[in-house]
Amino acid sequence: MANLKLDRVGKTYAGGVSAVENASFEIADGEFIVLVGPSGCGKSTMLRMIAGLEEITDGDVQIGDRSVNGVEPGDRNIAMVFQNYALYPHMTVRGNMAYGLRNQGMPKPEVEARIAEAARFLQLEPYLDRKPSALSGGQRQRVAMGRAIVREPSVFLFDEPLSNLDAKLRTQLRAELKDLHKRLGATFIYVTHDQIEAMSLADRIVIMSAGRIEQIGTPMELYANPASTFVAEFIGAPPMNVLPVTGEAARAFLAQEARVPDDLGHVGIRPELMSIGDNGIPATITLVEPLGAETLVHLKMGADKLIMRSGHGLALDAGAEIKVAVEAGALRFFDRDGRTRSA
Amino acid sequence: MQKRVVFRNRWLPYLLVAPQIAVTLIFFIWPAYQALETSFFVEDVFGFSRNFVWFENFTRLFADKGYLRSFWTTLVFGLSVTFLSMSMALALAVAANRVLKAATAYRTFLIWPYAVAPALAGVLWYFMMNPSLGILAYMLEGTFGVDWNHYVNGNQALLLVIIAAAWKQISYNFLFFLAGLQSIPKSLIEAAAIDGASPTRRFWTIVFPLLSPTTFFLLVVNLVYAFFDTFAIIHATTNGGPADATSILVYKVYSTGFVGQDYGSSAAQSVILMVLVIAMTVVQFRFIERKVQY
Repeated sequence: MANLKLDRVGKTYAGGVSAVENASFEIADGEFIVLVGPSGCGKSTMLRMIAGLEEITDGDVQIGDRSVNGVEPGDRNIAMVFQNYALYPHMTVRGNMAYGLRNQGMPKPEVEARIAEAARFLQLEPYLDRKPSALSGGQRQRVAMGRAIVREPSVFLFDEPLSNLDAKLRTQLRAELKDLHKRLGATFIYVTHDQIEAMSLADRIVIMSAGRIEQIGTPMELYANPASTFVAEFIGAPPMNVLPVTGEAARAFLAQEARVPDDLGHVGIRPELMSIGDNGIPATITLVEPLGAETLVHLKMGADKLIMRSGHGLALDAGAEIKVAVEAGALRFFDRDGRTRSA
Repeated sequence: MQKRVVFRNRWLPYLLVAPQIAVTLIFFIWPAYQALETSFFVEDVFGFSRNFVWFENFTRLFADKGYLRSFWTTLVFGLSVTFLSMSMALALAVAANRVLKAATAYRTFLIWPYAVAPALAGVLWYFMMNPSLGILAYMLEGTFGVDWNHYVNGNQALLLVIIAAAWKQISYNFLFFLAGLQSIPKSLIEAAAIDGASPTRRFWTIVFPLLSPTTFFLLVVNLVYAFFDTFAIIHATTNGGPADATSILVYKVYSTGFVGQDYGSSAAQSVILMVLVIAMTVVQFRFIERKVQY
């Protein structure tokens, strides 16, 4: 068990390309942290720097109050689950799990005991003597987790571990992961580009863009109060409607607001904080997407397009003229650089 | 869309494969048959007459101490060349795989020896190791006090042809090993690093086992090369001497037939070699290919 501290960490490659800049945050012992962002944002590089697979060019990484810059990956007391599982193809499931323990020189009976426990935990007992090639994707994923668990590390690192699985299995394993975290009580650092995974798994989310940390916070903090238009549009499906302040829609929303900050660039509103009312802002429905429990209604206000989330059983079609009502305090304000501004 | 080509003319397909079949028949099957036939005859020196002697050529060969010694020489030579060239190539491939800058240049230089003709490779080593004017022989004497003279010392002569033959084959092995190394996913090595394995341990427990298909393939190719393809190097370097110390089986076929003019015995020797090749091929396909699957 360990806490983690990143202090102004940066990574610049030999060619001068900067992957991560000035990243600082602390992770409490036992916390589930998700690093999320679009591809190329530096989240994997960050994880690999924590693992020691990538050299740190600036700043300091501490695991359990010990600076680990220059410490070999094997000596950091961490375990990592890779996107492609990285199981050793020439070893059985048992061999895969035993490898790290044997490297530590652990006595054989203890190795066996730990494997047996992890196998029971992950329901891998029938497969212990199989090679990875004889397993399904989900089973391989479990073996990769088993290999991490047996080492009883203080920090678990996950690099997009579910992205190679189909949607159904992904949902199932997502729940198992959360359960695993609860049972182990270890620190988890999880990288994904999928904001749903981030929202559902994380205690706190670190959202990154272009090598920089955009915002750190609990999923609901990020959802309710995004620090920038980037976060607003990344978190949530469908995302927050971000409207330029010069457009007709934004002006109509702002006209209903009592206190408006100055120097605005954009106005944001979550799709579920709007509804069809008797009076409100006039809009035209351009598309209706019934999803079962809810319906996504695409709207047009003047030249601006936005999406509203509505309950099931909406009896309107494209082309209908409606009035949109807005919940009090629903608007979010951003300046011209996309940073949040409070009223 | 039809994926298979269908010939409307009955004879066209046969006509198209005819050149290849002709080459195989004329240059492989016919000589092989001739060798097999000749191995049952004893012919007089001038080629005027020959007598059918059943297996006498073979029985005499296996009673000949010189021939049996050649078996032993071939084994030592073959295993040494294979081990030396493969281990050197693997070491170079591992090193080249780590190099980031100028990687292509290194690779190109390492591939060059393969383009050198075997006879030239032999002559090259012949000059470098020549006891009276060779630079390497001179350095051996000066630095290590080794009195190098492969004209007199049979073991030194064998060592010389082993080094020359191995050097020539390193490039070929290097190429395959490098390709094999590059096909190992990087994440496996990283996973092993996180699992606390030292670089050496990573190599022997992860990289080397995953290279085993390449290694077994090269093992067979190198043995075949050392047994049958090194004639030119030996001929150019030591002429099989001194006192037959470097006469491997293939060289014996030549010296018995073309120098000693004993065609029957020479043919019998090539038949034995043929059986050896067939056996090695069977071993490769039946056992090795199946065993290295993981």
